[in-house]
Amino acid sequence: MRYALSDISIVKRILRSRWLQWGLTAVTLLFFVLAILAGFFGTRAGNRNFGIVFVWIIWWAVLILLLIPFAGRLWCTMCPIPAPGEWLQRRALVQPRPGARLYTLGHKWPRRLRNIWAQNTGFLIVALFSAVILTSPGITALVLALFVVVALVTSLVFERRTFCRYLCPVGGFIGLYSQAAPVEIRVKDTAICASHTEKTCYTGSDEGYGCPWLLFPGGLQANTFCGMCTECLKTCPKDNVALYLRPPGADLWQTKGHKLDEAYKGFIMLASALVYSAVLIGPWGFLKEAARSVGSTAWFVYAVAFLGLNLLVVPGLFWLSVRLGQGRRPARTRALFADYATVLVPLGLTAWIAFSLSFVLANLSYAWPVLSDPFGWGWNLLGTAGLAWTPYLSGLVPYLQTPLLLGGLVAAVALALRTARQHGQSPWAALPVTVFCAIATLGFMGLYVA
Amino acid sequence: MKREWFALSVVLVVAVLFPAMLFGYQAWRSRAPGMQVIDVVARLPEEGGFVPDRLRLVAGEPARLRLTSPDVVHGLTIPGLGIDIETIEPGRVVTIDLTPAAPGRYAFACTRWCGVDHWRMRGVIEVTGVAGGGTASAMPTAEPPLYQQLGLDIDAMRHETHVMPEVQPSAARGAALEVSLPPDLAAANRRRALAPTDAFAQSRAEAAMTSLSDRDLWDLVAWAWLRDTQPEALERAERLYARDCAACHGPEGRGDGSAGQDLPGMQKMDPAMPAGPADFTAAARMLGASDALLQGKLLRGGMGTGMPEFGSLYTSEEQWAMVAYLRGFLFGR
Repeated sequence: MRYALSDISIVKRILRSRWLQWGLTAVTLLFFVLAILAGFFGTRAGNRNFGIVFVWIIWWAVLILLLIPFAGRLWCTMCPIPAPGEWLQRRALVQPRPGARLYTLGHKWPRRLRNIWAQNTGFLIVALFSAVILTSPGITALVLALFVVVALVTSLVFERRTFCRYLCPVGGFIGLYSQAAPVEIRVKDTAICASHTEKTCYTGSDEGYGCPWLLFPGGLQANTFCGMCTECLKTCPKDNVALYLRPPGADLWQTKGHKLDEAYKGFIMLASALVYSAVLIGPWGFLKEAARSVGSTAWFVYAVAFLGLNLLVVPGLFWLSVRLGQGRRPARTRALFADYATVLVPLGLTAWIAFSLSFVLANLSYAWPVLSDPFGWGWNLLGTAGLAWTPYLSGLVPYLQTPLLLGGLVAAVALALRTARQHGQSPWAALPVTVFCAIATLGFMGLYVA
Repeated sequence: MKREWFALSVVLVVAVLFPAMLFGYQAWRSRAPGMQVIDVVARLPEEGGFVPDRLRLVAGEPARLRLTSPDVVHGLTIPGLGIDIETIEPGRVVTIDLTPAAPGRYAFACTRWCGVDHWRMRGVIEVTGVAGGGTASAMPTAEPPLYQQLGLDIDAMRHETHVMPEVQPSAARGAALEVSLPPDLAAANRRRALAPTDAFAQSRAEAAMTSLSDRDLWDLVAWAWLRDTQPEALERAERLYARDCAACHGPEGRGDGSAGQDLPGMQKMDPAMPAGPADFTAAARMLGASDALLQGKLLRGGMGTGMPEFGSLYTSEEQWAMVAYLRGFLFGR
């Protein structure tokens, strides 16, 4: 039940255009440059600084409320962070240069690190300091600039988009949740791929580069690592790759064979959503203060609690749930643990959307003044600098959050039951995981609605 | 190749020309020919307060102050230059153009209760007589404040009343008596040296006052203390009290303001005295304090008690008006 959007001629033309990715990136680069400059040189008042407002309110809202749920990894197509490195590596911005030497040492990423543990670690580090990063324009700018530098250096040393695939802290969770998206890039007929010996989708051709994400599209089963750069649509000489519209979450229905690093990404995202909700929108001043006072005793306690919750408590409780579901046959707990963790995708994604709704709608109106005065230097370019902060639809938010969270729970329960079935377990085996999901949902509802 | 050049040009515009345009626009916008421009960042006092907190200007030469706040809402007053900015909102720029007329030292202060150390958020503008001049000219030499002329030790005095009135004295009842005041109470300069309790004792001894009961006499004393102050001066004092004093001393002058709860108060000087800000409704202490003493405390501050100095921010008229306003908490308005 899929529909090939790229079969529409205008869509195909756009997707196969070499200007598509460059054009999107040029636009986001403009905002990115402005965000970094405002962060370094603008006012320290976050709500009046373009860097804070546009990165942590507007970009975040667009990413978590629109792009990921509806377009998967579309952000990775237009992300400006790896662009300088990629352009330098290719020594080209738009056109492929077949046969030309790439400006990189071209090393392969170490085999032992070919997973998303580094992304998990990077996300945890950023999340640990997020109370400061999210409110300090200078630190936000520093972090963004650091990402660009790391991406640039990585591209000079390693092949293709190694940074995006293995290091980007944002890419990890975008990949995880993009499995829930209603779009995918897949081959039309795998037999054609098998018979196509050149494999230009991976090696590149006159029409485009080999998959920057180090994937063979013919074997693609999930959105997790596909950056939707559309190079494979350009390089496939047999027109065998398409952008499909599909039922949301189609990747998740295959619940067997998942890996521990991906499972942990799910735990980290769920636990982080909980901590963020408590720290950033909760009524506990001491928690906010502890999260902000980096280096203090209170912060160390917070850091230990944060890491403990992310790496031990939530995964531990989940492991216990999986183990309880096995009854007296605890033989495959590790495999089951990773596979049952697919329930964390709808659960976590809806929690993040609900969390984001609570502050995005409340703070969206900060965008108008910073459009007129991005640095807080007293400009009024568009005449909107004086517009007062106005929360939008604040009364409606709980009515959006509740069905969202419940929807996430329903999807999680369905996935738990499917996992049980695919592993030959009784439906009752999914009960403890279902209870885990219900408790998590209640926790979020308590934070947002109660 | 043309495509690549076009793409590269666009990227260079975004990454190089665009930032250059932004900074160029700001430089063009900030230009102020013939005017000294000073950027002042108003931070929480714990984070540094006004930065810089010492500005140097030249009398007769225009200057522009651009104030911003990176944290919370602040305010600004420069009483000597007649400048009052109610709000410096975080992330907004407040521009003040001024041309100081005369050399001198002009104190400035935050006027919003921005934090626990709000009262420390002060600075000074030194206005020299000529461009490139050395130190600022001294303020015109004023005569010493009355408490110094009288030799009052405002730290040591406990100023408790000798006689407690049976009921709270009322200026309104005192006015209704329509009795001529004794000379010491009628003349402001003589009355300011007296504590109300001394005035009561002196008046009680006068033959002309024997017909008045103690209660009437206290009312008369209350009226004597308030009758000279003009309503406009009291209104000004009321605004200043709300701005500068109420947070510690409380809106009703009872010493119960939330910002003053942890201050040592006069207990710093004398362990037998109550901690915290002064209670202006407490007859025992207020009746024992002269106006000169209260003015001294106001203009010099409390030396460790937590009471800031307002001598650099209030004019002499404002100080006396404030003293009268404080009396009103006990004597009525």
